[in-house]
Amino acid sequence: MIRSVLKAALLSAATIAALVPTSPAQAQKKPKEEAPAKLDLDRLKKQLESSQPAEIRAAVATIQAAGDGGKAAAPLLEAFLGRGSTAELLSLVLKTTGSLRQISSSQAIAPYARHRISKVRREAVKALLKTKGPVAVRALRRALRSKDALVRGVAASGLGELGAKEALPDLFVAFDHRVHEAATSIGQMCAPADCEKFLDRLTRFPFDVMSGGLDQILFRSPKELDDGEKMKIVGRLRELGTVEAGTFLADVAERWPDDWSADVKKAIQQAAKQSGGGGEN
Amino acid sequence: MRARRVATFGLLAVACGASGPIGKPFNTQWENDGGKSISDVQKRVAGAKLPPGPGVAVGVTSTGLVGATLDGSAKWTHDGKVDARPVITGQVVVATTGSELFALDAKSGKKLWRTSSKLALRGAGDDGKVTVVSLGARAGGGSKFIAIDRGGSDVRSFEPDPEIGAPGVLGGVAFIPWGNQYVSAIELSSGDEIGRLLLRDKVSRAINLGGHLYLGELSVVRFDEKIAQAVNNQGTRLTLPKREFPGEPLWLGYGATVAPTQSSARDSVRYYAAPAADGASFDSNRFAATYFRVAIGLESKTGELEWVRTLPHSLIGGAGATGGFALCDTAGEVWLLDAKTGAMGGKVKLGSKVDSCVVQGGAFTVKANEAPAALGEQISKAIRLRMPQMVAAQQFLLGALVDVEDPAVTGLLIELLSDPQTVPALTDAASSLLAKRRNGESYMLGALGKHYDFLSDVERPPPVGPLAEALAAMEEKRAAPMLAEHLNDPANSPAAILKIAKALSSLATTAEVEHLRIFFALYRATADQEELVEAVVLVGEALARLGGTEGKDAVERAKTDPLTNPEVKEGLRGVKIKRKRTGGAESTPAE
Repeated sequence: MIRSVLKAALLSAATIAALVPTSPAQAQKKPKEEAPAKLDLDRLKKQLESSQPAEIRAAVATIQAAGDGGKAAAPLLEAFLGRGSTAELLSLVLKTTGSLRQISSSQAIAPYARHRISKVRREAVKALLKTKGPVAVRALRRALRSKDALVRGVAASGLGELGAKEALPDLFVAFDHRVHEAATSIGQMCAPADCEKFLDRLTRFPFDVMSGGLDQILFRSPKELDDGEKMKIVGRLRELGTVEAGTFLADVAERWPDDWSADVKKAIQQAAKQSGGGGEN
Repeated sequence: MRARRVATFGLLAVACGASGPIGKPFNTQWENDGGKSISDVQKRVAGAKLPPGPGVAVGVTSTGLVGATLDGSAKWTHDGKVDARPVITGQVVVATTGSELFALDAKSGKKLWRTSSKLALRGAGDDGKVTVVSLGARAGGGSKFIAIDRGGSDVRSFEPDPEIGAPGVLGGVAFIPWGNQYVSAIELSSGDEIGRLLLRDKVSRAINLGGHLYLGELSVVRFDEKIAQAVNNQGTRLTLPKREFPGEPLWLGYGATVAPTQSSARDSVRYYAAPAADGASFDSNRFAATYFRVAIGLESKTGELEWVRTLPHSLIGGAGATGGFALCDTAGEVWLLDAKTGAMGGKVKLGSKVDSCVVQGGAFTVKANEAPAALGEQISKAIRLRMPQMVAAQQFLLGALVDVEDPAVTGLLIELLSDPQTVPALTDAASSLLAKRRNGESYMLGALGKHYDFLSDVERPPPVGPLAEALAAMEEKRAAPMLAEHLNDPANSPAAILKIAKALSSLATTAEVEHLRIFFALYRATADQEELVEAVVLVGEALARLGGTEGKDAVERAKTDPLTNPEVKEGLRGVKIKRKRTGGAESTPAE
């Protein structure tokens, strides 16, 4: 008990020590609340290279606590990943590296997306969604082909978030292979022809699987996807004529932004009504 | 049926009480005469001819029999359900129905004679004048012998005490196997047992093979001037070589039993052979084994595999013929295969599906009408069959691939190992074979280019473990980048990873350092299986050798890092790190 209390005290001391201002002037000045805390990078480096789990955890905690200021420590965490460590520490560092959202970190994280330990692998894929960049996109596209269903799912939804349009062909294949998370990404990125390709799957897949993608398409900004395309989609859903489609359209109509096309909204409402999903009288 | 010319069944006591050189027929007091009496019988019938009969196949259907000559000249049907598998012997086909025993002309299917009988057929022999038949109850027991001439007259019949096997006949003497070791020579005119042969090999059949009478079961001895020597396991003897074969097939099978009309798995796993003219060797030096849809040609002295033929339906009957084999399948097709090569020599259709099938090679000669495929290709075709019951034969055939140099065999093994449908019983054997291949590198490199790929439906990664072993042994440097890629692919098993690491120990160059570095970093502290631990140590060794200062530093650091897996650390202790001194000479720090 005493031992753990001491340990905790040492840890917080280390965290505080690494966060101290770097110059006497700064020490005297009360930092503005939004200004990122400056990190003692030398100290953090030593801690991360110490091979002592407690030290490493302390360094990570310091970086996490630094908010935006932690970004400066990204290269240290990348170097840590380059050296490798235990699964538990790797998971922690991957998560923290991801939270710093530095494109440069993707390179160090990417190999871990193929680690044999699922916990590490999954943490890496999630981190890549945050660090972004072409390396992350490449690693996520590869992750779509993984044996690990969870990794595939995260990658499929993440590619949409990253706006990786070049991954659309892979996402279609993934969707056809029952990676349902791909629907949302397809909906976020599809060009009109791709969106129609997606709609062709309406009769082959359960509506609840399709709806994630349809929702994304219909709520794409008019600048990105014009109203004509959205009308086509509404038309296809009306043709489908199922209660599920009607309910979905009614819900879309309710959420339809006021400053968006009134004609499209009207079409949605009519289609919803025809499909038994309520809508405008 | 015409009046009996000789008192028979009603006078059984007379027949069985008749005396001859042996005494009462089938008596068990007889003392081995060293082959003298049977030799006397042989001399007596030496001039008699045994017609080989036509090559013919007969199938049993639900309504009767269908027959066809192997030369394709004749085809026939016989209406009337039979109750036991028919027997083709020389020129006749003998069958029973449950109420009658009848004989047909083998070539035309024309009925020759019939007689009442409630017993079922066991075996039959015919010498062109008289047909001898053994009958019995379907469940066993109730042996009956009957001899009928071409005119349908009952020449002799009796119900012996012992269970009798399939009889033969030559020159008015019936040869009746019994007790698994005796063949009694019964003079048909008198009913006397005029000679007896004690065989050291199991005997339950007297059989006409190509116009010669043979006695035996597992092996056979020809009834010729050397027959007396058969007592001492000599004479004109034919034995198939002993060899391991799945399902332990039999050649002739037990003759003192009623064969059912419906074939079973035992009928699909059989040996077939025909004697050569000298009677002491096999025709073409070959015998064939069948295993459901596959026929395999084997050298008759060594048992070595010579050819493999994959057929569209399960084989359920057959016979050896001059120059080849005639094998009958469930679809009622009879495949004529060249004995030497397994090449096709034609096909005869019985005209309908059959429940069972019997074939006589007789005087027929098989002539191949196509060139045989390469052995590797023949074996590949058989191994590619997706039938659960074929696995044992496929394992046997895989074993035979060891000696086949054809690079296509490498391709086949890779294909098998990459196919998720391949059963574990085959993958183990195929993996070990692939690791030993030393050719087909283009197949190997091609396979290494593939990975587990969910999107492309590649559900099983290529067999990287055995490929790594083979390519390392072949010193194939081109494999290094692909093996390095696989090192970091989690779809590969730890055992495969270890083999990759071993291969990279000799094949890797500086071009693979990045993959080595990543693997080392990812697993030096997380390796949780014995194979991975060993792989990390091997990769560390390669990294220290090829990775320059950074590589050396990484390994050196791992050696002392408390977070490095202790077993990895222990393994790394043996890794020597050589660094260049200022003068260019290499140094190894003391441990």
